[in-house]
Amino acid sequence: MSRLSLWIVLSVLAICALPFVLERHSTELMIFAAFYAIAGLGVGLLLGQCGIVNLAQAFFYGIGAYASAYGTVVLGWTPALGMLVGVGVAGLIALAIGWPILKLTGFFLALATLGIGIIGTILFFEWDWLTGGTLGIGGLPPLSIAGFAFDTPDRFYFLAWGVALGLLWLAHNLTNGRPGLAMRAVRDAAPAVEGLGVDIHGLRIKVFVICAMLGALAGSLFAHYVSYVSVESFTVQRSIVFLLIPVIAGPRVVWGVVPGALFVTLVPEWLTGFGDIHQMLFGLVLVVVVTLLPEGLTGLPARLGRRVTR
Amino acid sequence: MRISRYFRAATAALALLSAGPLSAQEKESIRLGAILSTTGGLASLGLAERDGVLLAQKVLNARGGIKGHSIEIVVEDDSSNPDAAMSKINTLIHSENVKAVIGPTGIAQTVAVGALTQREEIPLLAFTGMGPAVEASRTCVLHLTPAQGLNARALLSYVRDNGGKTVGVLHDSGYGQVIWGVMKDLGEEFGVTFTAVEKFELSAADATAQAAKVKASEPDMVIVLSSNATGFRNLRQVGLTQPIVSVHGTALYDVVRAMGDASDNVVYAEFLIAEDPLPNQTEFVAEFQKEYGRLPKHFEAAGWDAVMAVAAALEKTGPEPAGGALCEALRGPYPGAFGKYDFSAPDMGGLTLEAFSYSLLTKGAFSRLPYHAK
Repeated sequence: MSRLSLWIVLSVLAICALPFVLERHSTELMIFAAFYAIAGLGVGLLLGQCGIVNLAQAFFYGIGAYASAYGTVVLGWTPALGMLVGVGVAGLIALAIGWPILKLTGFFLALATLGIGIIGTILFFEWDWLTGGTLGIGGLPPLSIAGFAFDTPDRFYFLAWGVALGLLWLAHNLTNGRPGLAMRAVRDAAPAVEGLGVDIHGLRIKVFVICAMLGALAGSLFAHYVSYVSVESFTVQRSIVFLLIPVIAGPRVVWGVVPGALFVTLVPEWLTGFGDIHQMLFGLVLVVVVTLLPEGLTGLPARLGRRVTR
Repeated sequence: MRISRYFRAATAALALLSAGPLSAQEKESIRLGAILSTTGGLASLGLAERDGVLLAQKVLNARGGIKGHSIEIVVEDDSSNPDAAMSKINTLIHSENVKAVIGPTGIAQTVAVGALTQREEIPLLAFTGMGPAVEASRTCVLHLTPAQGLNARALLSYVRDNGGKTVGVLHDSGYGQVIWGVMKDLGEEFGVTFTAVEKFELSAADATAQAAKVKASEPDMVIVLSSNATGFRNLRQVGLTQPIVSVHGTALYDVVRAMGDASDNVVYAEFLIAEDPLPNQTEFVAEFQKEYGRLPKHFEAAGWDAVMAVAAALEKTGPEPAGGALCEALRGPYPGAFGKYDFSAPDMGGLTLEAFSYSLLTKGAFSRLPYHAK
């Protein structure tokens, strides 16, 4: 068993054991961390494997949440149907948007995704007939599978982390297979890869669609968990948090989104003890982490190892 | 040896007996929670509410607490974000074991948090009016400010009764959009025609183009539905001279200061004119001025009322209310500094048009108008 596999197995075991030792409040935070890990996984695939900065993930997160909210509360759908529609709609929109904008590269592409994120937030505000605008939509039913309702934090914890870990495993396999090789080749030497006949544009669109669908799935889970959605949860600020997840963790390691998601969920919470300056402190912590650990949190063990053997 | 043990036990018993009943300070304090937006977009409201909440705590404890138990309020900041509010409510309920929760500041946070507090039968005294339909069944979520429909009626009543037939509306895409959503269907009922309705972005620092369109429609009066000074400033900058009528959300000293020269000829449908308080508000205004050295507005009053209402209910139930008993004790009339509440009303607040006071802002100063809405 490689060192990475050992870390992964130990992490999975720790995640499974946590609800039995954590306080209720901490379990709730861990559930949010699972949502962020799923949404952050999409952003991480784009950033780490394709070199694309995506600042529109909160838009897709919102699509998933609103599809579940509108579908279950207004149209009377089952939660599973609402979730399916949300993920499908997000994928189709990502396809339609991705087709033109993914011809851009670098800063221009990042700015284009930022523009989409801003437009998304405005639409969530303006289309109040669909989203409830500032009032939002409340009263979503809990998720259930074959009559088993995920209506307690402990149950939802295992659902959310089960989904997150399952998706991480799939993403791990994807990036370690031929598609992953192609993605990294496109990221590192696009002209050479194009010469070998790889459809760069098509590949980037596929990853962008996967990213959007992951965002929508996370949004849908979030909506069913909190039973209420409003536009404040889907702003560009949230997209920046999703982008921070792979950036902090180290974007090239797929499993890195777990420590990244834990960081963006738990650290701000711990810092609230410092009062009204907690948001400034979080900014400061981010700067320190990014400066001292340029390869991210996942690079920390290797860095420590080098220091010990030196 | 045996005698010595009996002697020690007897001495200890005597010492305990001579100590008598526990004093107020020695009794365990009653813990309440507060979720307020003290940072983020709603901070101006959340900070005002926090001032009122903490003042009420101080005054209550100085008066001996509740049945000898002091009040301890655990204040949490939700950063104006409903997700953070969800996290905080779990801390308050499950880690801090609070008896009631004051707040939240925003509608989204209230609806999100209310699902949990309702299930746990813990009273939530929110600084919002009743929002989406789902709140109608939450009898343990009480509302300390009016629902948007009531705000809209208070404004249109003033327009109608003061000769306004045509009205221009300038509103933002957040709070203003919500009130406009109700107001747009009330024009006919109040005999008012909307000549122009213009919207600007919540975060916009400039709405001159929209203000110019509203002015060009030549209305008798203009209604501004917003939570900041942008609309007021721009309307005066484009030369509007007609009266502006607005909501209590902007009848705040900070907003008035931000208006600059535009803080003139503005009528507010509001609740606390501290320069000329109503009899039920004098005690609060005096206490607030003594503590902070400045005058309060309605959000500070709502913070004070929330704590005082819980304290009054705890006087009835005792410091350890059984499940749901505190909600039940709260559900009834309560004469607050903000207004006369009836928490048993269908909107869980019971504020009516009569609760509104009308003020005129003249060169940055509020003065009470003799008008009363019916």
